[in-house]
Amino acid sequence: MAVTGYLSEFSLAEIFSFLEQGNKTGLLTICVLSEDQSKKRENHYVWFNQGRIVAASNRLDQHGLANMIGQRGWLGEHTALRVAQTCAATMPIGLILKTQGLLTVEQLKLLFYAQVMRQVCALFSLKDGWFQFDGKVPLPFAEMTGLNAPATEVTLSALRVLKDWSALASKLPEPSSAIKGIIEGKPQQKLNQSEWHLWEFANGTLALHTIAKQLQLPLEKAQQIAFRLVTAGLVEEVPLVTVSSVASRPEATGPEIAVPETVPAEATAVSHSFLHNLVGFLKGKV
Amino acid sequence: MEIMRLVVTGPVGAGKSTFIRSVSEIAVVDTDRQATDETSLIKQKTTVAFDFGRLAFGPEMALHLYGTPGQSRFDFMWDILIQKAHAYILLVAAHRPREFVDARRIRAFMRQRSQVPMIIGLTHMDSPNAWDIENTAIALGYLNADKCPPIITVNPNEAASVAQAIITLVQHSMQNCLV
Repeated sequence: MAVTGYLSEFSLAEIFSFLEQGNKTGLLTICVLSEDQSKKRENHYVWFNQGRIVAASNRLDQHGLANMIGQRGWLGEHTALRVAQTCAATMPIGLILKTQGLLTVEQLKLLFYAQVMRQVCALFSLKDGWFQFDGKVPLPFAEMTGLNAPATEVTLSALRVLKDWSALASKLPEPSSAIKGIIEGKPQQKLNQSEWHLWEFANGTLALHTIAKQLQLPLEKAQQIAFRLVTAGLVEEVPLVTVSSVASRPEATGPEIAVPETVPAEATAVSHSFLHNLVGFLKGKV
Repeated sequence: MEIMRLVVTGPVGAGKSTFIRSVSEIAVVDTDRQATDETSLIKQKTTVAFDFGRLAFGPEMALHLYGTPGQSRFDFMWDILIQKAHAYILLVAAHRPREFVDARRIRAFMRQRSQVPMIIGLTHMDSPNAWDIENTAIALGYLNADKCPPIITVNPNEAASVAQAIITLVQHSMQNCLV
Protein backbone atom coordinates (compact mmCIF):
# COMPACT_ATOMS: atom_id res chain seq x y z
CA MET A 1 0.00 0.00 0.00
CA ALA A 2 1.12 3.52 -0.72
CA VAL A 3 2.42 5.94 1.85
CA THR A 4 0.81 9.00 0.48
CA GLY A 5 -1.12 12.07 1.52
CA TYR A 6 -1.00 15.83 1.85
CA LEU A 7 1.48 17.85 3.87
CA SER A 8 -1.44 19.68 5.44
CA GLU A 9 -2.47 16.33 6.94
CA PHE A 10 0.86 14.70 7.64
CA SER A 11 3.62 17.25 7.90
CA LEU A 12 7.09 16.92 6.44
CA ALA A 13 8.46 16.69 9.98
CA GLU A 14 6.17 13.73 10.67
CA ILE A 15 7.08 12.10 7.34
CA PHE A 16 10.80 12.40 8.06
CA SER A 17 10.30 11.03 11.55
CA PHE A 18 8.31 8.12 10.12
CA LEU A 19 10.93 7.36 7.45
CA GLU A 20 13.83 7.50 9.90
CA GLN A 21 12.14 5.48 12.63
CA GLY A 22 11.01 2.93 10.05
CA ASN A 23 14.53 2.71 8.56
CA LYS A 24 12.97 3.27 5.16
CA THR A 25 14.81 3.15 1.85
CA GLY A 26 13.31 4.70 -1.26
CA LEU A 27 12.15 7.92 -2.84
CA LEU A 28 9.97 10.61 -1.31
CA THR A 29 8.26 12.73 -3.94
CA ILE A 30 6.75 16.06 -2.97
CA CYS A 31 4.50 17.77 -5.46
CA VAL A 32 3.97 21.43 -4.62
CA LEU A 33 0.34 22.43 -4.91
CA SER A 34 -0.26 25.81 -6.41
CA GLU A 35 -3.57 27.61 -6.81
CA ASP A 36 -2.25 29.09 -10.02
CA GLN A 37 -3.10 26.43 -12.63
CA SER A 38 -0.92 28.10 -15.25
CA LYS A 39 2.18 27.49 -13.18
CA LYS A 40 4.35 24.54 -14.08
CA ARG A 41 4.08 21.68 -11.62
CA GLU A 42 6.97 21.73 -9.20
CA ASN A 43 8.28 18.44 -7.84
CA HIS A 44 10.94 17.73 -5.26
CA TYR A 45 12.63 14.41 -4.67
CA VAL A 46 14.38 13.17 -1.54
CA TRP A 47 16.10 9.79 -1.46
CA PHE A 48 16.43 7.77 1.73
CA ASN A 49 18.66 4.87 2.64
CA GLN A 50 17.84 3.09 5.91
CA GLY A 51 16.11 6.19 7.23
CA ARG A 52 18.93 8.57 6.31
CA ILE A 53 18.75 11.19 3.60
CA VAL A 54 21.30 10.50 0.90
CA ALA A 55 20.29 12.86 -1.90
CA ALA A 56 17.78 15.49 -2.95
CA SER A 57 16.90 17.09 -6.24
CA ASN A 58 14.14 18.73 -8.22
CA ARG A 59 14.79 16.47 -11.20
CA LEU A 60 14.80 12.74 -11.84
CA ASP A 61 17.33 12.54 -14.68
CA GLN A 62 20.20 12.10 -12.20
CA HIS A 63 22.00 15.15 -13.60
CA GLY A 64 21.42 17.33 -10.55
CA LEU A 65 24.68 16.72 -8.72
CA ALA A 66 26.81 16.84 -11.88
CA ASN A 67 25.14 20.14 -12.67
CA MET A 68 26.03 21.51 -9.23
CA ILE A 69 29.63 20.39 -9.62
CA GLY A 70 29.79 22.07 -13.02
CA GLN A 71 28.29 25.32 -11.70
CA ARG A 72 31.01 25.51 -9.08
CA GLY A 73 33.68 25.03 -11.75
CA TRP A 74 35.21 22.09 -9.93
CA LEU A 75 34.75 19.80 -12.89
CA GLY A 76 33.02 20.06 -16.23
CA GLU A 77 29.41 18.93 -15.98
CA HIS A 78 29.89 16.62 -18.96
CA THR A 79 32.98 15.10 -17.39
CA ALA A 80 31.12 14.45 -14.17
CA LEU A 81 28.22 12.93 -16.08
CA ARG A 82 30.58 10.74 -18.12
CA VAL A 83 32.17 9.46 -14.92
CA ALA A 84 28.72 8.74 -13.54
CA GLN A 85 27.68 6.88 -16.67
CA THR A 86 30.83 4.82 -17.10
CA CYS A 87 30.92 3.70 -13.49
CA ALA A 88 28.74 0.82 -12.52
CA ALA A 89 25.69 1.94 -10.58
CA THR A 90 26.92 0.54 -7.31
CA MET A 91 28.72 3.49 -5.79
CA PRO A 92 27.86 7.14 -5.21
CA ILE A 93 29.42 9.41 -7.83
CA GLY A 94 30.85 11.60 -5.07
CA LEU A 95 32.92 8.72 -3.73
CA ILE A 96 34.10 7.82 -7.22
CA LEU A 97 35.24 11.40 -7.90
CA LYS A 98 36.99 11.52 -4.54
CA THR A 99 38.73 8.20 -5.16
CA GLN A 100 39.95 9.50 -8.51
CA GLY A 101 41.25 12.64 -6.84
CA LEU A 102 38.84 14.87 -8.76
CA LEU A 103 37.01 16.20 -5.68
CA THR A 104 38.09 16.70 -2.08
CA VAL A 105 36.20 15.70 1.05
CA GLU A 106 35.55 19.37 1.79
CA GLN A 107 34.04 19.87 -1.65
CA LEU A 108 31.78 16.87 -1.13
CA LYS A 109 30.63 18.32 2.21
CA LEU A 110 29.82 21.63 0.55
CA LEU A 111 27.91 19.82 -2.17
CA PHE A 112 25.94 17.79 0.37
CA TYR A 113 25.08 20.93 2.30
CA ALA A 114 23.80 22.69 -0.81
CA GLN A 115 22.06 19.65 -2.23
CA VAL A 116 20.43 18.20 0.87
CA MET A 117 20.51 20.54 3.83
CA ARG A 118 19.63 23.73 1.95
CA GLN A 119 17.15 22.23 -0.52
CA VAL A 120 15.34 20.00 1.94
CA CYS A 121 15.18 22.59 4.71
CA ALA A 122 13.47 24.93 2.26
CA LEU A 123 10.69 22.37 1.79
CA PHE A 124 9.59 22.86 5.40
CA SER A 125 8.20 26.26 4.52
CA LEU A 126 5.73 24.76 2.04
CA LYS A 127 2.12 25.42 3.04
CA ASP A 128 0.85 22.31 1.35
CA GLY A 129 1.82 19.65 -1.09
CA TRP A 130 1.11 16.11 -2.04
CA PHE A 131 3.60 13.45 -1.04
CA GLN A 132 4.29 9.85 -1.88
CA PHE A 133 6.95 7.50 -0.65
CA ASP A 134 8.00 4.67 -2.94
CA GLY A 135 10.10 2.01 -1.24
CA LYS A 136 10.93 0.23 -4.49
CA VAL A 137 13.00 2.96 -6.14
CA PRO A 138 16.72 2.09 -6.33
CA LEU A 139 19.31 4.46 -4.89
CA PRO A 140 20.32 7.25 -7.34
CA PHE A 141 24.10 6.81 -7.28
CA ALA A 142 24.65 9.62 -9.81
CA GLU A 143 22.96 12.05 -7.39
CA MET A 144 24.80 10.89 -4.29
CA THR A 145 27.82 12.54 -2.71
CA GLY A 146 28.33 9.51 -0.48
CA LEU A 147 27.40 11.56 2.57
CA ASN A 148 24.12 11.23 4.43
CA ALA A 149 22.21 12.73 7.32
CA PRO A 150 19.58 11.29 9.68
CA ALA A 151 16.19 12.59 8.58
CA THR A 152 15.38 13.98 12.00
CA GLU A 153 18.66 15.90 12.10
CA VAL A 154 17.56 17.68 8.93
CA THR A 155 14.15 18.26 10.52
CA LEU A 156 15.70 19.80 13.61
CA SER A 157 17.85 22.12 11.50
CA ALA A 158 14.89 23.14 9.37
CA LEU A 159 12.47 23.75 12.24
CA ARG A 160 15.01 25.82 14.19
CA VAL A 161 15.00 28.42 11.44
CA LEU A 162 11.36 28.11 10.37
CA LYS A 163 9.67 31.52 10.52
CA ASP A 164 6.06 30.71 9.66
CA TRP A 165 4.62 27.90 11.79
CA SER A 166 1.01 28.35 10.68
CA ALA A 167 0.97 25.13 8.64
CA LEU A 168 2.06 23.19 11.73
CA ALA A 169 -0.30 24.86 14.21
CA SER A 170 -2.52 21.78 14.64
CA LYS A 171 0.51 19.57 15.15
CA LEU A 172 2.02 21.46 18.05
CA PRO A 173 1.66 19.91 21.50
CA GLU A 174 -1.24 21.43 23.44
CA PRO A 175 -0.40 24.06 26.08
CA SER A 176 -2.12 21.84 28.67
CA SER A 177 -0.04 18.79 27.71
CA ALA A 178 3.20 17.64 29.30
CA ILE A 179 6.13 16.07 27.49
CA LYS A 180 7.78 12.86 28.53
CA GLY A 181 11.14 11.42 27.48
CA ILE A 182 10.90 8.17 25.53
CA ILE A 183 14.59 7.33 25.25
CA GLU A 184 17.05 5.74 27.61
CA GLY A 185 19.58 8.22 28.93
CA LYS A 186 20.40 11.53 27.30
CA PRO A 187 19.71 12.48 23.68
CA GLN A 188 22.43 11.68 21.18
CA GLN A 189 21.32 14.46 18.85
CA LYS A 190 22.97 17.85 18.99
CA LEU A 191 20.37 19.94 20.80
CA ASN A 192 20.54 23.68 21.19
CA GLN A 193 20.25 25.43 24.54
CA SER A 194 16.49 25.96 24.51
CA GLU A 195 15.91 22.34 23.51
CA TRP A 196 18.08 21.16 26.39
CA HIS A 197 16.15 23.40 28.77
CA LEU A 198 12.83 21.91 27.71
CA TRP A 199 14.28 18.41 27.79
CA GLU A 200 14.97 18.91 31.50
CA PHE A 201 11.21 19.16 32.01
CA ALA A 202 10.33 16.05 30.00
CA ASN A 203 8.97 14.08 32.93
CA GLY A 204 5.30 13.93 31.96
CA THR A 205 3.99 15.98 34.86
CA LEU A 206 4.21 19.69 34.02
CA ALA A 207 2.00 21.32 31.44
CA LEU A 208 3.78 23.19 28.67
CA HIS A 209 2.25 26.51 29.71
CA THR A 210 3.80 26.03 33.16
CA ILE A 211 7.15 25.04 31.66
CA ALA A 212 7.02 28.11 29.40
CA LYS A 213 6.46 30.33 32.45
CA GLN A 214 9.32 28.73 34.34
CA LEU A 215 11.67 29.13 31.40
CA GLN A 216 10.32 32.60 30.68
CA LEU A 217 9.54 31.60 27.13
CA PRO A 218 6.53 32.64 25.06
CA LEU A 219 4.09 29.70 25.13
CA GLU A 220 4.16 29.39 21.35
CA LYS A 221 7.94 29.11 21.42
CA ALA A 222 7.79 26.37 24.04
CA GLN A 223 5.25 24.47 21.91
CA GLN A 224 7.53 24.74 18.89
CA ILE A 225 10.54 23.47 20.81
CA ALA A 226 8.45 20.62 22.20
CA PHE A 227 7.35 19.74 18.68
CA ARG A 228 10.99 19.58 17.61
CA LEU A 229 11.75 17.17 20.44
CA VAL A 230 8.71 15.07 19.50
CA THR A 231 9.70 14.81 15.84
CA ALA A 232 13.27 13.99 16.86
CA GLY A 233 11.85 10.95 18.64
CA LEU A 234 13.05 12.15 22.06
CA VAL A 235 9.77 12.87 23.83
CA GLU A 236 6.07 12.23 23.48
CA GLU A 237 3.20 14.55 24.22
CA VAL A 238 1.22 13.44 27.25
CA PRO A 239 -2.16 15.17 27.62
CA LEU A 240 -2.99 16.10 31.17
CA VAL A 241 -6.45 16.42 32.62
CA THR A 242 -6.91 20.16 32.59
CA VAL A 243 -7.21 21.98 35.91
CA SER A 244 -10.64 23.31 35.02
CA SER A 245 -11.82 19.76 34.31
CA VAL A 246 -10.42 18.41 37.55
CA ALA A 247 -12.01 21.26 39.48
CA SER A 248 -15.35 20.36 38.01
CA ARG A 249 -15.20 16.68 38.84
CA PRO A 250 -18.49 15.47 40.29
CA GLU A 251 -17.08 15.28 43.81
CA ALA A 252 -15.95 18.86 43.60
CA THR A 253 -18.97 20.53 42.12
CA GLY A 254 -21.95 18.82 43.65
CA PRO A 255 -24.77 16.67 42.42
CA GLU A 256 -25.88 18.85 39.51
CA ILE A 257 -23.08 17.37 37.38
CA ALA A 258 -23.57 13.86 38.66
CA VAL A 259 -21.70 11.14 36.84
CA PRO A 260 -24.12 9.06 34.78
CA GLU A 261 -25.16 5.77 36.34
CA THR A 262 -23.37 3.80 33.69
CA VAL A 263 -19.94 4.87 34.93
CA PRO A 264 -18.40 1.98 36.84
CA ALA A 265 -17.85 2.35 40.53
CA GLU A 266 -14.61 0.44 40.72
CA ALA A 267 -12.45 -1.96 38.76
CA THR A 268 -12.50 -5.55 39.94
CA ALA A 269 -10.81 -8.53 38.36
CA VAL A 270 -12.81 -10.85 36.16
CA SER A 271 -12.54 -14.63 36.38
CA HIS A 272 -11.05 -17.03 33.85
CA SER A 273 -14.40 -18.72 33.37
CA PHE A 274 -15.94 -15.34 32.59
CA LEU A 275 -13.37 -14.65 29.90
CA HIS A 276 -13.70 -18.15 28.39
CA ASN A 277 -17.47 -17.82 28.32
CA LEU A 278 -17.19 -14.41 26.72
CA VAL A 279 -14.86 -15.65 24.00
CA GLY A 280 -17.11 -18.62 23.34
CA PHE A 281 -20.14 -16.34 23.12
CA LEU A 282 -18.42 -13.91 20.75
CA LYS A 283 -17.18 -16.73 18.50
CA GLY A 284 -20.81 -17.50 17.85
CA LYS A 285 -21.16 -14.02 16.39
CA VAL A 286 -18.14 -14.14 14.09
CA MET B 1 -23.16 -9.90 38.43
CA GLU B 2 -19.68 -10.23 36.95
CA ILE B 3 -18.87 -7.40 34.56
CA MET B 4 -15.96 -6.75 32.25
CA ARG B 5 -15.48 -3.15 31.19
CA LEU B 6 -13.87 -2.37 27.85
CA VAL B 7 -13.09 1.15 26.74
CA VAL B 8 -13.27 1.99 23.05
CA THR B 9 -11.16 5.03 22.31
CA GLY B 10 -9.65 6.83 19.35
CA PRO B 11 -9.67 10.12 17.44
CA VAL B 12 -12.82 11.69 16.04
CA GLY B 13 -14.35 9.62 13.27
CA ALA B 14 -12.39 6.45 13.96
CA GLY B 15 -15.64 4.50 14.44
CA LYS B 16 -16.02 4.27 18.22
CA SER B 17 -19.80 4.77 18.40
CA THR B 18 -20.41 2.49 15.43
CA PHE B 19 -18.18 -0.16 16.98
CA ILE B 20 -20.25 -0.21 20.16
CA ARG B 21 -23.58 -0.07 18.34
CA SER B 22 -22.63 -3.06 16.20
CA VAL B 23 -22.50 -5.46 19.15
CA SER B 24 -24.51 -3.83 21.89
CA GLU B 25 -27.74 -5.61 22.77
CA ILE B 26 -29.22 -2.35 24.01
CA ALA B 27 -29.61 0.93 22.20
CA VAL B 28 -26.34 2.69 22.79
CA VAL B 29 -26.68 5.25 25.53
CA ASP B 30 -25.19 8.57 24.62
CA THR B 31 -24.60 10.15 27.97
CA ASP B 32 -23.93 13.59 26.63
CA ARG B 33 -25.45 15.96 29.14
CA GLN B 34 -26.73 19.30 27.96
CA ALA B 35 -26.02 22.23 30.16
CA THR B 36 -28.91 23.56 32.18
CA ASP B 37 -29.45 27.24 32.80
CA GLU B 38 -28.05 26.97 36.30
CA THR B 39 -24.93 25.10 35.38
CA SER B 40 -24.33 26.31 31.87
CA LEU B 41 -21.18 28.15 32.79
CA ILE B 42 -19.59 25.04 34.19
CA LYS B 43 -21.24 22.66 31.79
CA GLN B 44 -20.01 24.43 28.72
CA LYS B 45 -16.53 23.51 29.72
CA THR B 46 -17.21 20.15 31.26
CA THR B 47 -19.71 18.37 29.08
CA VAL B 48 -19.89 14.74 30.12
CA ALA B 49 -20.13 12.57 27.05
CA PHE B 50 -19.49 8.97 26.24
CA ASP B 51 -21.24 6.05 24.57
CA PHE B 52 -22.33 3.02 26.55
CA GLY B 53 -23.26 -0.40 25.25
CA ARG B 54 -23.86 -3.76 26.89
CA LEU B 55 -23.63 -7.41 25.96
CA ALA B 56 -25.03 -9.93 28.43
CA PHE B 57 -24.01 -13.52 27.81
CA GLY B 58 -25.26 -15.24 30.91
CA PRO B 59 -27.58 -14.59 33.80
CA GLU B 60 -24.71 -13.11 35.81
CA MET B 61 -22.22 -12.11 33.14
CA ALA B 62 -22.04 -8.99 31.02
CA LEU B 63 -19.62 -7.03 28.92
CA HIS B 64 -19.86 -3.26 29.19
CA LEU B 65 -18.46 -1.08 26.44
CA TYR B 66 -17.59 2.56 26.98
CA GLY B 67 -16.72 4.90 24.14
CA THR B 68 -14.62 7.90 25.02
CA PRO B 69 -15.67 11.38 23.92
CA GLY B 70 -14.68 12.15 20.38
CA GLN B 71 -13.06 15.48 21.03
CA SER B 72 -9.39 15.72 21.80
CA ARG B 73 -10.29 17.15 25.19
CA PHE B 74 -9.15 15.15 28.13
CA ASP B 75 -11.53 15.85 30.97
CA PHE B 76 -12.23 13.97 34.16
CA MET B 77 -14.53 11.51 32.37
CA TRP B 78 -11.58 10.13 30.42
CA ASP B 79 -9.79 9.67 33.69
CA ILE B 80 -12.68 7.82 35.28
CA LEU B 81 -13.21 5.56 32.28
CA ILE B 82 -9.63 4.43 31.97
CA GLN B 83 -9.15 3.96 35.70
CA LYS B 84 -12.07 1.54 35.79
CA ALA B 85 -11.40 -0.27 32.52
CA HIS B 86 -10.21 -3.87 32.31
CA ALA B 87 -8.83 -3.33 28.81
CA TYR B 88 -9.20 -0.97 25.89
CA ILE B 89 -9.04 -0.80 22.13
CA LEU B 90 -7.61 2.21 20.34
CA LEU B 91 -9.36 2.71 17.02
CA VAL B 92 -7.41 4.53 14.31
CA ALA B 93 -8.68 5.46 10.85
CA ALA B 94 -5.86 4.16 8.66
CA HIS B 95 -6.76 6.44 5.76
CA ARG B 96 -6.45 9.67 7.75
CA PRO B 97 -2.79 10.17 8.66
CA ARG B 98 -3.63 13.63 10.03
CA GLU B 99 -5.21 11.86 13.01
CA PHE B 100 -2.23 9.70 13.85
CA VAL B 101 -0.97 12.49 16.09
CA ASP B 102 -4.29 12.46 17.99
CA ALA B 103 -4.07 8.68 18.33
CA ARG B 104 -0.59 9.07 19.82
CA ARG B 105 -1.86 11.67 22.27
CA ILE B 106 -4.68 9.39 23.38
CA ARG B 107 -2.36 6.42 23.77
CA ALA B 108 0.09 8.48 25.83
CA PHE B 109 -2.76 9.73 28.01
CA MET B 110 -4.05 6.20 28.59
CA ARG B 111 -0.60 4.72 29.18
CA GLN B 112 0.21 7.40 31.73
CA ARG B 113 -2.84 6.38 33.77
CA SER B 114 -3.28 2.68 33.31
CA GLN B 115 -1.32 -0.40 32.37
CA VAL B 116 -4.36 -2.47 31.37
CA PRO B 117 -4.06 -4.55 28.19
CA MET B 118 -4.80 -2.76 24.93
CA ILE B 119 -4.95 -3.48 21.24
CA ILE B 120 -5.13 -1.24 18.20
CA GLY B 121 -7.91 -1.56 15.66
CA LEU B 122 -7.34 -0.04 12.25
CA THR B 123 -10.52 1.09 10.54
CA HIS B 124 -11.23 2.21 6.95
CA MET B 125 -8.62 -0.22 5.67
CA ASP B 126 -10.65 -0.65 2.48
CA SER B 127 -9.92 2.95 1.52
CA PRO B 128 -7.39 3.33 -1.32
CA ASN B 129 -5.47 5.85 0.81
CA ALA B 130 -5.24 3.60 3.84
CA TRP B 131 -1.79 3.01 5.29
CA ASP B 132 -0.93 -0.63 5.89
CA ILE B 133 -0.52 -2.13 9.36
CA GLU B 134 3.29 -2.03 9.37
CA ASN B 135 3.54 1.62 8.37
CA THR B 136 0.71 2.71 10.65
CA ALA B 137 2.46 1.01 13.57
CA ILE B 138 5.63 3.02 12.84
CA ALA B 139 3.63 6.23 12.47
CA LEU B 140 2.04 5.54 15.85
CA GLY B 141 5.48 5.14 17.39
CA TYR B 142 5.75 1.37 17.63
CA LEU B 143 9.27 0.71 16.40
CA ASN B 144 9.91 -2.51 18.22
CA ALA B 145 7.72 -5.45 17.27
CA ASP B 146 8.24 -7.00 20.71
CA LYS B 147 6.72 -3.97 22.41
CA CYS B 148 3.91 -3.48 19.95
CA PRO B 149 0.39 -4.43 21.04
CA PRO B 150 -1.71 -6.56 18.68
CA ILE B 151 -2.82 -4.50 15.69
CA ILE B 152 -5.86 -5.72 13.84
CA THR B 153 -8.11 -4.58 11.04
CA VAL B 154 -11.69 -3.95 12.09
CA ASN B 155 -14.83 -2.82 10.33
CA PRO B 156 -16.99 -1.11 12.98
CA ASN B 157 -20.06 -1.51 10.78
CA GLU B 158 -19.88 -5.30 10.86
CA ALA B 159 -20.88 -7.09 14.03
CA ALA B 160 -18.71 -10.09 13.18
CA SER B 161 -15.64 -7.92 12.71
CA VAL B 162 -16.28 -6.10 15.98
CA ALA B 163 -16.84 -9.42 17.77
CA GLN B 164 -13.50 -10.67 16.40
CA ALA B 165 -11.80 -7.50 17.61
CA ILE B 166 -13.20 -7.98 21.11
CA ILE B 167 -12.10 -11.63 21.07
CA THR B 168 -8.57 -10.49 20.24
CA LEU B 169 -8.68 -7.95 23.06
CA VAL B 170 -10.01 -10.48 25.57
CA GLN B 171 -7.47 -13.11 24.55
CA HIS B 172 -4.71 -10.52 24.78
CA SER B 173 -6.00 -9.66 28.25
CA MET B 174 -5.89 -13.33 29.25
CA GLN B 175 -2.27 -13.53 28.15
CA ASN B 176 -1.52 -10.46 30.23
CA CYS B 177 -2.94 -12.01 33.37
CA LEU B 178 -5.97 -9.78 33.68
CA VAL B 179 -7.52 -12.24 36.09
